[in-house]
Amino acid sequence: MANEVTKTMPPSTRLRQTDVGEVTVDIRTPDLEINFGPQHPATHGVMRVLMRTDGELVTGAQPHLGYLHRCAEKIGENVEWLQYLPYTDRYDYLASMNNNLGYSLAVEALLGVEIPRRATLIRIICAELNRIGSHLVAFGTYGLDIGAFTPFLYCFREREWMMALFEKICGARLTYSYIRIGGVFNDAPPGWFEEVARFCDVFEQKWPEYVDLLLVNQIYVKRTANVGVISREMALDFGLTGTMVRGSGIDWDLRRDMPYMCYGEIWRDGAFKIPVAKGEMGALGDCWDRSWVRVMEMMESIKIVRWCLDHMVDGPVIGELPKTLKVPAGEAYVGIENPRGELGHYVVSDGGKVSVRTRVRGPSFCNLAVLEDILPGALVGDAIAIIGSTDIVVGETDR
Amino acid sequence: MTPALALAQQSAAVEVGSGSNAFLEGLVAALGAYLPMWALWLGAAVTGVAIVMGLISLIAMFSVWLERKVAGHIQCRYGPMYVGWHGWLQSIADGVKLLLKEDMIPRDADRVLFMLAPALVLAAIVAAMAAYPLAPGVFFADIDLGVFFVIAMSSMTTIGVVMAGWASNSKWTVFGAMREAAQVVAYEIPLGVALLVPVMVAGTLNMREASEMQSGWYGMGWFMFKNPFMLPAFVLYFIAALAETKRAPFDLPEAESELVAGFMTEYSGIRWSFFFMEEYAAMFLMSALAAVFFLGGFESPLTWAAGEFFGRELFVKGASGATELNLQAIPYHAVAGLTLLVKSFAGIFLMMWLRWTLPRVRVDQVMTMGYKYLTPLALVCAIGAALWEAGKQALLG
Amino acid sequence: MQQTETAQGYVKNIWDSVKTTLVGMKITWRYMLQKPITVQYPDERMPIPDRYRGIHYLEQEKCINCLACARACPIDCIEMEAVRHGKELEWISFTLDYQKCMFCELCVYPCPKDCIHMGTEYAFVTFDRSEFKHDLLSFKGMAREARIRMKEAEAKKAAKEAAKAAGVKVEDSKAEEGDGE
Repeated sequence: MANEVTKTMPPSTRLRQTDVGEVTVDIRTPDLEINFGPQHPATHGVMRVLMRTDGELVTGAQPHLGYLHRCAEKIGENVEWLQYLPYTDRYDYLASMNNNLGYSLAVEALLGVEIPRRATLIRIICAELNRIGSHLVAFGTYGLDIGAFTPFLYCFREREWMMALFEKICGARLTYSYIRIGGVFNDAPPGWFEEVARFCDVFEQKWPEYVDLLLVNQIYVKRTANVGVISREMALDFGLTGTMVRGSGIDWDLRRDMPYMCYGEIWRDGAFKIPVAKGEMGALGDCWDRSWVRVMEMMESIKIVRWCLDHMVDGPVIGELPKTLKVPAGEAYVGIENPRGELGHYVVSDGGKVSVRTRVRGPSFCNLAVLEDILPGALVGDAIAIIGSTDIVVGETDR
Repeated sequence: MTPALALAQQSAAVEVGSGSNAFLEGLVAALGAYLPMWALWLGAAVTGVAIVMGLISLIAMFSVWLERKVAGHIQCRYGPMYVGWHGWLQSIADGVKLLLKEDMIPRDADRVLFMLAPALVLAAIVAAMAAYPLAPGVFFADIDLGVFFVIAMSSMTTIGVVMAGWASNSKWTVFGAMREAAQVVAYEIPLGVALLVPVMVAGTLNMREASEMQSGWYGMGWFMFKNPFMLPAFVLYFIAALAETKRAPFDLPEAESELVAGFMTEYSGIRWSFFFMEEYAAMFLMSALAAVFFLGGFESPLTWAAGEFFGRELFVKGASGATELNLQAIPYHAVAGLTLLVKSFAGIFLMMWLRWTLPRVRVDQVMTMGYKYLTPLALVCAIGAALWEAGKQALLG
Repeated sequence: MQQTETAQGYVKNIWDSVKTTLVGMKITWRYMLQKPITVQYPDERMPIPDRYRGIHYLEQEKCINCLACARACPIDCIEMEAVRHGKELEWISFTLDYQKCMFCELCVYPCPKDCIHMGTEYAFVTFDRSEFKHDLLSFKGMAREARIRMKEAEAKKAAKEAAKAAGVKVEDSKAEEGDGE
């Protein structure tokens, strides 16, 4: 049947037989072209997917990008080094701390400035808390895509506390601009670390609820298992990173494999593990595996935060930097483990106050490419599940 | 009595129940002198429909408020709080807003069908609602095929939904309409078969009679306890009813994250609210059916006590031989009516609780569940119950 | 629900569905009985931390019109204008365009006098876009103290010049000063 359908379709659409099973087509009607998005509740922003459907079966899909393009990289070549920092907040707005961190690390690699230990630890705490927040959104909105409304609000309840923590340390709730070149803007206010520890305790109590309420729910499992399977080879071919590649059973995490800051130390201390999907509920690399990885990673992040709190030292939070930042000539690429995957910043300097070239390797953008290959063959309901499981942030795919 | 008067009386009885009502007889006789038969007939019909419509809107308004409060509290928030005590007038405010909203019809929509669809949906549910007994002696229509009528009428709404989906001339609405059609066809069977189990025990399809049969054991002689196949049948019926009323986890026709709003994507204002009213009225009816055929209907220990204390007959033969209203029995009927109402709303609450807990199933899984799980299990229940009853009769005589 | 070929799988499917549904219902039931955690917004408000990045406020007396904040701003939304009278400033405007501002706080750090801050005010509602351009000045022109200081400085300067012109006549210059006032 698959061949028959493929024959009648334009060559650009490929039909991959997934778990839908044998679908026999009695009457051939013209495929229906549906504009999925840009305004649609399940596109997580303003992405548009042009879907070709045969009844409920998706026979072709093509993502269209660019609705949120704001020339972020070009702006990076027109403003001073420090001034670009607020712009990094805005491409992956769910993980602004990680974006700040990536850019700061890239510029620091050129500067060669030494980062105080306290600043490093605060950075890791912030990045990991933000990873939890981002995964909470990913998991919650994924539940929303599947049709479960309540877990979404439970997730947001914890995220709210996380945002309140960030509000206390930097004054903003979403676009933090907190981690800056050379360290962090402000030292933590008094009592902040204690509250983070409290957050960790409470989060550990609430976390099993997400698992019970949604992750192991039979309907959820049936909706996501064996859906949108990305094989190991496919994951490698498409250059997937982060939760997507770990969801396909490949043990790859930049925090361990290309350690930056003191993640290497934390790993050697055995403080955290890297959850890699095993295909428990269906084929390896399905949507359930990806969401499982996200849920498990939240807990690992809590462990990293705990380690940092235990090893916190006193001292300055920002390195010695001149007032007007002039970065030595050269180029640097630093990739960090964003909640969505490898977030790379490539900066080139000619020794001036402004970057010559700023380039961002966005994880969502690269992960999105796989959609075109895994969507055909799914049902319309599955298509939503698959798009949700890639956990894209459109602000970052378009930048 | 002239034939015209008899017919008028018959149709009037459709709204207010018992044909042996002295008051009604007098009214019809008095009016019959001045008005032609068709006017009486029309007046009776309009009054009846108005009463049922009012009931449906009240139920829908209360259910919407309840839904929002239940959803809110499940999700650690309050829900509506501002309009009235804990926002209980919110539905009225929303209703006014919907009435005042611009009535939009897409340019390329099929205008006639587009306007007809919500009316058809509402008409079907109003007809179905007529079979709902308010109290043992107060009902709109005492239909002997009550269950059959309710199921038939409530599945009529599907036609309206498919019409709405098609007439909107949008791809998403067509998806919603097709899903609705497939889903309702799949779930009619387990719904009916599961209802067959208590119907077999009751031996009647009349809702009022079925309820009366459960008055034993001090008002706890519910069909639920009569037979070991009742509990699974109840669960199956409830699941099928969820699918029948398009409630989560089977809310595929209006799956928000998939089809935007399904078949009602293009509707707005009062037309949209008709679909909404239909949904809640259907929920209420399905719960009421479950209450009547599984959970004792009017009967509860409280109803039994009220019946013992106040007497049960609403209409008694007076000294002159004419039927009279027995005012003493009113408390019993009020308690009985409230019991059924509470049971129905308990069913609605359960539906809401499930909705705010579970994810949505996929379209092929809905079909799988209907055909592969619910239908065979319902058949097993029905056959088992039949054998059980037959065995009981054979053994106990 | 595809893998239901075996009877075992069929039963397990039903069992799993019922069990996980009940577990989920237990969790939601528990939360239904708890007190909600949300805040009824206009009546109650969440506490705002000290470092909150809201609408700016300016300590105008301290400001020296050095343009450090305007230069630090990534989107150039700060504009200021002042006329310098010796050491004192006559303020004409200090505007911040909140249509552009992204509340990054980069303008606060470079200030040498520590006079621009971010406040806790956050609600922007206007009927007109032009109202987003806030003037942070609390007064236009010169401060009373600054005016007095300027007058004094001018007087001193005049006195000095007068002294220079008068040469040795110190006593007269004092009298002149008195006359001038």
